[in-house]
Amino acid sequence: MNMLLKISWRNIWRNGQRSITMVLAIAAGLWGGIFAASVAMGLMDQRFRTGIEQEFSHVQMHNPDFLKDAGVRHHIEPWPEIHQKLSSDSDVSAFTGRTIVNGMVTTANLTRGANIIGIHPSSEAATTRLDQNIVEGEYLDEDTQNPLLMGKSLAEKMKARVGSRVVLTFQDANNELISTAGRVTGIFQTANSMYDEMNLYILQSDLNRHVGEEDIVSEVAVLLHDLDQAGPFAEKYQEVFPSLTVRTWAELSPQLAFYNQMGMTMFIIILIIILLALAFGLLNTMLMSVFERTRELGMLMSVGMNKQRIFVMILLETIFLTLTGALAGSALAMITIGLLSDKGINLGLVGGDSLQNFGFEPVIYPMIDNSFFAILTVLVILTALLTAIYPALKALRLRPAEAVRAE
Amino acid sequence: MKTVIKTSNLEKIYNSSVAPVRAVNDVNLEFREGEFTAIVGPSGSGKTTFLNLIGGLDKPTKGKVIIDETDISTLKESQLFDFRLRNIGFVFQSYNLIPVLTAKENVSFIMLLQKRAKEEMEKRAKEMLEQVGLSDKINVRPNQLSGGQQQRVAVARALASKPKFVLADEPTANLDTESAFNLLDIMSRLNKEENITLIFSTHDQRVIERAKRVITLVDGSVSKDENFDR
Repeated sequence: MNMLLKISWRNIWRNGQRSITMVLAIAAGLWGGIFAASVAMGLMDQRFRTGIEQEFSHVQMHNPDFLKDAGVRHHIEPWPEIHQKLSSDSDVSAFTGRTIVNGMVTTANLTRGANIIGIHPSSEAATTRLDQNIVEGEYLDEDTQNPLLMGKSLAEKMKARVGSRVVLTFQDANNELISTAGRVTGIFQTANSMYDEMNLYILQSDLNRHVGEEDIVSEVAVLLHDLDQAGPFAEKYQEVFPSLTVRTWAELSPQLAFYNQMGMTMFIIILIIILLALAFGLLNTMLMSVFERTRELGMLMSVGMNKQRIFVMILLETIFLTLTGALAGSALAMITIGLLSDKGINLGLVGGDSLQNFGFEPVIYPMIDNSFFAILTVLVILTALLTAIYPALKALRLRPAEAVRAE
Repeated sequence: MKTVIKTSNLEKIYNSSVAPVRAVNDVNLEFREGEFTAIVGPSGSGKTTFLNLIGGLDKPTKGKVIIDETDISTLKESQLFDFRLRNIGFVFQSYNLIPVLTAKENVSFIMLLQKRAKEEMEKRAKEMLEQVGLSDKINVRPNQLSGGQQQRVAVARALASKPKFVLADEPTANLDTESAFNLLDIMSRLNKEENITLIFSTHDQRVIERAKRVITLVDGSVSKDENFDR
């Protein structure tokens, strides 16, 4: 085997120029592929993370009727019990209860529909880090009178600024329309501009007072210590509170679940396409190499080097060639990803806010999963093996007596 | 002397699009241990086909090739590979060394395939390169050797594993006179010293003049089989 390894390794450098070209092609292909996959994975991971952190949390609970008709009448009845149970649950990292009504928001210039969300500032901040998304003004303060947080894109559309007076119109618990005035005290911006355009926050105590209820919540959002516990946690609470609808992040946003699985799948698809393209180049190189060595292969067979050894030799040559390129490509990709994973790539410079319209942050941090290297190695070796079969079979079909006299 | 190769009623017919070609026709020959034989004849007389048949590189249409009591025409392909590896040495017209291996590695190559002990291979390869006058080229690759030197390495490779016999197809055809004589000197010395049976196919008068036995083939049949006391 040592001899075969030695001959195979030396053989690939016989035509150095051709092998280097092939190695460079493989390296460049994989570099591009891995980097593209790392950007895709970074993008998906970011969307997943921000989706969980800023929008959905891990688990949400609602009154089932609220999901059909989002009015304050359909609030969560057992909120005190839920509060008590969540407060003592060791799986829970943070939780918050919100009051939500659909209404209209009016400024001096425009009127638009929006979800008016009444929040408890400290528990909301602990659960969704909303306080960290304030880009202008201040986060909600319970000592301020009728404070209001407006999403950046909604504020831009309504030409509102910090300090602008807005009027909110919505139905109270008796289905009566009521209007109340507030003042924009802060502008928030999440990674999802659509979300920012649809939602505004006021103090829960203010909203509950306006709708004529006390201590009600329409939605409970729970952040767990461990994402993987979301399923069992939701099941457990669903059993304890059968009158509620308890859903995990994956049920709340199938899109997020899709992103979560998509990162690696996309990487594998990209890699397979690249390797498939490279396989043709590799096939050509190996076929040329076999044709050029017809006489030598004839001699090897004549002197008694059996077909298995010839087959293994050509297989090893293909694997060496592919692995050399793959190692170079992986190293280049790792360096590039390493350099950009901290600083990120600011696509906002070329795409403006367009990414945020789809819920993606403009700065993408390329990332790659460790399991990727195992997949890469398997795919590269598989490509080399599959590519080597045809040239190897060509070599095996040679008749030694004729091959040894080939020109 | 012991018979190494025996052919009986050996025949090889190639099917061409025009008409079948009888390349070897009813050849009955015996080669004994230590013989130095030249197979001669005009182009197309069947020299190479005959060598291919006794070397196990081709199968006869009819007849037998018996080497040390084994009829190799009945062996399967995989058995033939192993048989050639263990029993036959080959020297080719175009040297056919492995370009990525050094002279010593080329000489060791067949012993390596035979899985001989490393020390034995090292010793024998050095010894053979010394025998062919290339002890100073041990670590040199074929592209740094002249044609004559490459063919000497090829001879060393063929003989290093001590095969039962060596087949050489036109070994001097690509060599200048000096290199050819040099090679022939080495081969006749090794024939005597190592008692190895050597069979050449050749057009080369220089080889024919050194051979102890000259077999002339015409249209695939033996027309003359002469022995000389040289």
